Amino acid sequence: MPYIKEERKETISVEGDWDIGGSTTWKDSTLLQGYAQGLKEKRIIGSLCPGCGKVIVPPRNICGRCHRKMDEKVVVSDIGTVTCFVISAPFAKGKMQVLGMDPVETGLVGEGERVISVYVKLDGADSNIDTELIGAKPEEVYVGMRVKAVWAKERQGKLSDLEAVEPLRD
Amino acid sequence: MRNVAIIGCGQTKHSARRRDVNLAEMVGDAVWNALEDAQVTPQEVDAFTVGNMQGFGGVAQPEQWLGDWIGAAGKPVLRVATGGSTGGCVAQAAFYAVASGLYDIAVATAWEKHSDSKEPGATTGLSHVALGNTINMINCGLSFKHLLSMTLVGAAAGVACYQAMYYMYRSGSRVEHLDMVAAKDRRNAAKNKYAHLQWPGCTPEDIAKTEWVAYPFRYGHICPASDGASAMVLACEDIARKRCKKPVWIKGLAAYSDEENQIMSEGAGGIGILDASQQIGATMSAIKAYRMAGIRDPQKEIDVAEIYQPFPNQELIFAERLGLFDEGTAWRALEKGETDINGRMPCDPSGGVNATNAIGSSALQRILECALQIMGKAEEHQVPKEVHNAVATGWGGATNYIAVTVLGDSPY
Repeated sequence: MPYIKEERKETISVEGDWDIGGSTTWKDSTLLQGYAQGLKEKRIIGSLCPGCGKVIVPPRNICGRCHRKMDEKVVVSDIGTVTCFVISAPFAKGKMQVLGMDPVETGLVGEGERVISVYVKLDGADSNIDTELIGAKPEEVYVGMRVKAVWAKERQGKLSDLEAVEPLRD
Repeated sequence: MRNVAIIGCGQTKHSARRRDVNLAEMVGDAVWNALEDAQVTPQEVDAFTVGNMQGFGGVAQPEQWLGDWIGAAGKPVLRVATGGSTGGCVAQAAFYAVASGLYDIAVATAWEKHSDSKEPGATTGLSHVALGNTINMINCGLSFKHLLSMTLVGAAAGVACYQAMYYMYRSGSRVEHLDMVAAKDRRNAAKNKYAHLQWPGCTPEDIAKTEWVAYPFRYGHICPASDGASAMVLACEDIARKRCKKPVWIKGLAAYSDEENQIMSEGAGGIGILDASQQIGATMSAIKAYRMAGIRDPQKEIDVAEIYQPFPNQELIFAERLGLFDEGTAWRALEKGETDINGRMPCDPSGGVNATNAIGSSALQRILECALQIMGKAEEHQVPKEVHNAVATGWGGATNYIAVTVLGDSPY
């Protein structure tokens, strides 16, 4: 087969946009809505598996292991344990963009700030939630660290009501 | 079930931008090289299995474009797409086609042409992988700050970041061990003429000088986004013995999945996996594949491993899941040089995915590289010992879809 590359040295690029839109239909999106609604009352809801007894947060319909329906909802603690953490490189203006915005320019993070992402196993849950750890320096975080939820002052039944976690100090 | 052997292998050169070929030409090159290696004409091929990551390179259904170019017109073509493990599953699908007796000669080919997307890397594909759940979360009031923290450890690198932290915590290994794996893989890649990131004489200190991406990963730990393709010719026993001096037998295979990905689960719910480095799917695949292959003690019977490791921690994790080292000890073997090209248990003598990542192709390349080692055709990166049995993996998703393939120089 004669190659196009024998006629052209390089492939050519054709500019084009493809708007993939923002609409996705979920079979059951009320689960996450219900979870978010609970946050308004500072309640963190999980679903209990009647088969293995695991409590999964945020809730889900079917247990991933026993495939039983997880209809029963339970409230777990807003205190938990860090099971894993990842620390970002220092943020800098013009370094990265999220959804077309510069996080430093928009004031979301400070110049040189390092964001700590954590997986937290809340007391009473058998799964991790992923959130941000605030009020601790990157060198202070460790696996097994006890943390508690930081709640938004005015809660509106949104995922953002659970702002982050901070070290539990007694 | 019939015995199936690999009788020919073909790959293309991998680099960041293959502007000298278009997608169809690139895949065509790999298939042609494999047919030439096997001394099989396109007319003799009964069926094709093909695959790449869904939507990557900005082409939704590339198989419709490249059918003619690989000689598949008028023949059965099956496309397989299972994320990062695609190539492994493409090869396994070709195995099924021949083992079942349905076809005598099948070609498996897989590829990725990242640079065809407008943005480098895999943006087009990834947005459709994660978009649904992200939108669901935004609809439920996900804050921009939270989205930012998810993004900074986003995609496969993010998943692997957590995986690395879990493994390091569990096994007592450190970031220095990630440096050592990455340096070894780049040195190995320098011996592989098809590889992308070639760095002769690379040392762990060189890697440790690179910038942090997100702790515990440095820039030097991360795989590149490569353009490239690979292909293999599979045949039934009669044909393999007649046509090939040293056929490589597919002795055992399995591709198990585990629970859903943390972010991708239904309605963005949680999952019951606390430790992302557990990789139960890999253990299950390995047990099944070894049993099928008649391998009882992988530490003694496996001679070389090609592990899917876009991130260096994965070489350590999966080597343990494959039973090549005891639980939590792969990093000690690494320190002793056992995983080096001339070590006791060479891991990724080709440089692996850490040095070359044309995603769809990567897992097929692992099987292909094992075949080259058994055939003795790996040239400069051939391990300096007899290779009877080898094992290859593919990893797709966070905790699920792991393809394990065991190869050998005899079918039994």
